[in-house]
Amino acid sequence: MGRCVGQYQERHLLKREMMKTFALALLGIFSATTVVATEINESMDAAADGTVSISNISGSVEVQGWSRNQVEITGNLGSGVEQLIFERDGDEIEIKVKTRRGNSRDTKSDLVVKVPLASSLEVNTVSADIDVAELTGEQSLESVSGDIATQAFGSDIDINSVSGDLEVEGDDQAMRSMLSSVSGDIDTENLAGEIRVESVSGDLVVVNGVFDRVSMDTVNGDIVFHAQLLNDGRLDVETVNGSVDIEFAGEVSARFDIETFNGDIRNCFGPKAVRVSEYGPGYELKFTEGSGSGRVTIETLNGDLRLCK
Amino acid sequence: MNETDNNNFDDELMAAAAELATEVTPDRDLWPGIEQALPHPGRPARTVWNSTWAQAAAVLLLVGGSSGVTYLAITEDLSPLPPVAGGPTLVFEPVSGSFGSMYNLGPDYQDARRSLAAKVDEELGRLTAEERNEVQKNIDVIRAAIEEINKALAAEPDNALLQKLLLSTYRDELGLMMRVDKITSAAMRRGDI
Repeated sequence: MGRCVGQYQERHLLKREMMKTFALALLGIFSATTVVATEINESMDAAADGTVSISNISGSVEVQGWSRNQVEITGNLGSGVEQLIFERDGDEIEIKVKTRRGNSRDTKSDLVVKVPLASSLEVNTVSADIDVAELTGEQSLESVSGDIATQAFGSDIDINSVSGDLEVEGDDQAMRSMLSSVSGDIDTENLAGEIRVESVSGDLVVVNGVFDRVSMDTVNGDIVFHAQLLNDGRLDVETVNGSVDIEFAGEVSARFDIETFNGDIRNCFGPKAVRVSEYGPGYELKFTEGSGSGRVTIETLNGDLRLCK
Repeated sequence: MNETDNNNFDDELMAAAAELATEVTPDRDLWPGIEQALPHPGRPARTVWNSTWAQAAAVLLLVGGSSGVTYLAITEDLSPLPPVAGGPTLVFEPVSGSFGSMYNLGPDYQDARRSLAAKVDEELGRLTAEERNEVQKNIDVIRAAIEEINKALAAEPDNALLQKLLLSTYRDELGLMMRVDKITSAAMRRGDI
């Protein structure tokens, strides 16, 4: 009997030891696959007005302009990243987070990139958010699903997303802004000059700023334009199902040509909308304000319109 | 192979099996070895250690194998390509009854549309299901709008606003495809995703 108990204890101890070994081995495997971010801190000299292009799949890209003629990258790389490419070719600097081909695990990398103030910037991401500040050069920013926020200081911008939201803040300097999304909302403030904003279902909002040419086009999104239209300026607005809210800042001088097939028109300018046909539901509103040097056209299928100053 | 063939084959197999010897006499007496391997009450339990070491070896093999596979997956290019996003193939067919069935979309437009649609569809396959669904949802929005305008146009074929909105919405559809193509192909040119 005593021998049996001894054997049992011996086996029990052995089992415990084996369990420990097994647990440690599993821990080892787990450690080998655990996400380990790698911190980065690299820099190189750059042209004062060169081009910096950045490509990152997921995570974030934060770009800040600074007074040094240098590009500096800090942040961290996901464990699925093979390499951070940071190269200079003449006045162009390329930053690319390269992942192992086909590796979808932990490619999330967060980059903070400081670039010379007047650099032209190109950023391309899949799901990484893009945030740009204090940069005076041109910007071309694209993301599939990441949100994009930037400041603009008089240089042209071209910003596109599929589902990410876009936010742009200007400083009233004339420039050319091309902004588009599929389903993301687009919000701008204090831009000026020429602006073109497009979406399918995202809302389009242009607030403040002074423009000589504005084009806002969406299928289902709502449209808001609360800004100034210069003399000789042109505002074209079109939506199928979204509502339209126009409020001019300051005086406006333009011929207005507004039409909706199935929506209502609320107008603060005086003239009343009239039915296009005796039988159809459509309304039309045509009038001239001031000298009529500019032109405003608004068209909707079902969207309601509000027009004020 | 039909059922008759199967039956013939089974019959032949059974006949061949019946011809096999039913008893096999070993070349030598195996009993001493078997007897030694059987547990004997009173003998030291050396088999416990044997079995323990066997289990430990098995665990090590398992752990080693798993680690090896993990290591290869991490360091080598053996991991599979990201799965093609689920969901049906995107539908880029033109909405029927365009212009209230009074006019057809031109062949150049159709060609451009087909070619863009094929390209976009291919690239979208490399995005996530969520992103792909987002695009599909918006294509549906455009198609619904086109259908709605077409219905109105069928009732009022000469309505200039409707004609313009319809053209514009078709342009929006092309615009969507071009936009998605531009953004995704820029992302996919990376070569590592």
